[in-house]
Amino acid sequence: MSEKRGFLKEFNKNRTLFLMIAPTLLYFIIFSYIPMIGVYYAFTNFNFDGGLFGSEFVGFKNFEFLYKSGILWNLTKNTVLYNLAFLIIGNILQIVSAIFLAQLASKFFKKTAQSLMFLPYFLSWVLVGAFVFNMFSDLGVVNTMLKQFGLQPYDFYLNPAPWKYIIVFFNVWKGIGYGTIIYLAAIMGISDELYEAAKIDGANVFQQIRSITLPLLKPTFILLILFSLGGILKGQFDLFYQIIGNNGLLYDATDIIDTYVFRSLTVNFDIGMGTAAGLYQSFFGFVLIMTVNYIIKKTREEYALF
Amino acid sequence: MFKTKKRLSLLLVLSLMISLLAACGGGTASNSPGSQGAEKSANGEGGAAEPKLEKVKLSWYLVGDAHKDQSKIVAEWNKMLERDLNTTVDLKFTTWNDWKTKYNLLLTSGEKIDMIFASSWADFYKLSKQGAFLDLKDLLPEYAPTTWGNVPEEDWDSVTVGGGIYAVPNTNPEYTPLGYVYREDWRKEFGLPEFTDLDSIEAYLDAVKTQKKVIPINGAAYENVNSLYKFWNDFQLIGGDVIGATSYDNPRDIQILPYTEEFEAWVKRMKTWEQKGYWNKNALSSNQEAGDFIKTGQGAIYWRNPSSAGGFINEVKAKNLNMEIGFFPFTRFHNYVIPTLPSSNAMAIPKSSANPERSLMVLDKLRNDPEYFNLMTYGIEGTHWAKGEDDKTILIPAPGVNLDETPRYSITSWGWRYEPNMKNEKGGWDGLDALKEEFSPISKPDIFGPIYLDYAPVKAELAAVNQVFEQYGKPLMLGLTSDVDASLQTYRDKLKTAGVDKLLEYIQEEANKYFDEKGIQ
Repeated sequence: MSEKRGFLKEFNKNRTLFLMIAPTLLYFIIFSYIPMIGVYYAFTNFNFDGGLFGSEFVGFKNFEFLYKSGILWNLTKNTVLYNLAFLIIGNILQIVSAIFLAQLASKFFKKTAQSLMFLPYFLSWVLVGAFVFNMFSDLGVVNTMLKQFGLQPYDFYLNPAPWKYIIVFFNVWKGIGYGTIIYLAAIMGISDELYEAAKIDGANVFQQIRSITLPLLKPTFILLILFSLGGILKGQFDLFYQIIGNNGLLYDATDIIDTYVFRSLTVNFDIGMGTAAGLYQSFFGFVLIMTVNYIIKKTREEYALF
Repeated sequence: MFKTKKRLSLLLVLSLMISLLAACGGGTASNSPGSQGAEKSANGEGGAAEPKLEKVKLSWYLVGDAHKDQSKIVAEWNKMLERDLNTTVDLKFTTWNDWKTKYNLLLTSGEKIDMIFASSWADFYKLSKQGAFLDLKDLLPEYAPTTWGNVPEEDWDSVTVGGGIYAVPNTNPEYTPLGYVYREDWRKEFGLPEFTDLDSIEAYLDAVKTQKKVIPINGAAYENVNSLYKFWNDFQLIGGDVIGATSYDNPRDIQILPYTEEFEAWVKRMKTWEQKGYWNKNALSSNQEAGDFIKTGQGAIYWRNPSSAGGFINEVKAKNLNMEIGFFPFTRFHNYVIPTLPSSNAMAIPKSSANPERSLMVLDKLRNDPEYFNLMTYGIEGTHWAKGEDDKTILIPAPGVNLDETPRYSITSWGWRYEPNMKNEKGGWDGLDALKEEFSPISKPDIFGPIYLDYAPVKAELAAVNQVFEQYGKPLMLGLTSDVDASLQTYRDKLKTAGVDKLLEYIQEEANKYFDEKGIQ
């Protein structure tokens, strides 16, 4: 009872603020919470007559296909490791290039570099997939070059090993411009006074970066990591699908949950099984983000998301 | 205040995470049978009793791609429809790219569709059982009387599921066995005999590779090899790519094919083919069709059925490419052919349709009225085709039309084809008629296609087995693994883990049920 009174009081006090947040809340209720009812599809054997609630309830049967082939562990591992690699390598490179750009004096060069780095972000994965095919196929750029130098050509499409690096490389390459801008904005927000004070104390550029820029970027870094962690079990479907496609030879190293689910369901279209896979990913993303946030909260409360 | 803010941000994060999931689960189809029934009867009475029909806009879907001039043709069609039935149709296409995913989504999303292409190879039976389509049994005699009368009884049987008629099959008996189109001029140049068996095909591939220095099966090779595999071994696959009868004459001998000796011999032979360079090492990743390479002189073989082979050959001729193309149907390996099931090309009405009656009336017109049929099947007269010397013959391209600017009109008209309205192309490939004559005496009924499988008890196993097939079966088929024995062993083991035995049991059971019913031994 007391809580309710507390909320009413709160509401009366900040009526305008509540009004301002109302559209956002409404948006999430309509587009995120109400459709969540669809989660129930994961537990039914769908048919068109019954629809959502009229279809037969089958419990966890729809989840069976995920572990039946015994590769759920490999898929989950691939998905998580790829995302961690994207996250860590991507963020480090983004921070490094943001710091470089911030230190540059020439405005023209700074702008050009920024634009060039941002450009790949706008390319679709379909195009990138075509680049990759033309680079690594039998008669592709790489093999033609190897032959020119008198070296043995390498059959990229028969060996899974190099693809881990190719995929990480292209993902980082594509995302670097976007992340750099976020970090650059954070760096620009750092007060000049701090740097001036450091200079007066005789700190060189590297010392300034280590003691001022990096510590002050930490909140941004943690926030971005936390946001990404929730999606760590969701692979970037288009990236993997466009680059690897139907080449089963490469699946050991490159198959992620999303591509696996896509292949299963294009052969045997089934709403229940598709939703089951989505639920599996979301549930673990949820658990993961709660855990990490909890740990951060215990150690450094000011950085925690909530 | 602070607490509330925290709670709100929690909410925000939660919603962000869940929004993706929601995108998967959303789209609750609202098809309550009650409201639809009411609409139906109201509409039905209006349609039958009144000569003047109320104006209706229909939405139709076809699989595949639209033609460049599609909007012109549909506009023409709509003029006729408005005149005769006071109806307009919005004709939409799935495009061939990921068509199956789109097709399934269209049906599940509850989009209002009044007519859609349906086929046994587009899960017609499964979808009908799940209730995706409307039962037309009572509507047909009233709203499509001509069609109801001219479709043979046994064709209606083939689209009947659990007592209901869920589609209108086309009436165009054909044979569509697979085969190879190939560079016939090169075969003559090499002085090689015509294809009769695997050895003669290998000799040809070898000559193309060594003498012409051309990769014979260029681009995406998988289907080219897979179709040869099925026909050469006389394997009759049932439901998927792994399980099937070992031959037409032993329908009850259903096995897991990768466990057979024939399969082992086959993949070993394919390994030698791969080593000799009959296809590329990136054959599984390539998205280019082998046929496109033939047209540019960089390939020699491409899998087609007789009518698409005809299309291919006609195109090569019309473009004046300097080459002679032959066609070898794989039916010559075992000397029999199975006709295409009527249910493999049909039109169905999804449950979401608001005007099923009108839609059937349009279909009835489209199938049986030559004016409608010609327009939608062959395009605009004078632009996409012209009249030949008699009513059964047409000219493509029409005189004075350049095929590079106005490509031939070939949309998926398969669903409404009606044999008496079909036309032959003048100067087209005459092989098609010869093949028809070759096929009719050796025709045997399709005893595998109608086996009804919905996989309900083995869904998980099916999905898992298909994964294993994709990952291990396909590369093995193309000889792309370094150690065939080892990868064959892996493939077999993985199939076992995926539950292939349970799937086999299910398929055997269903097949035997069907064979018992039809008295097939």
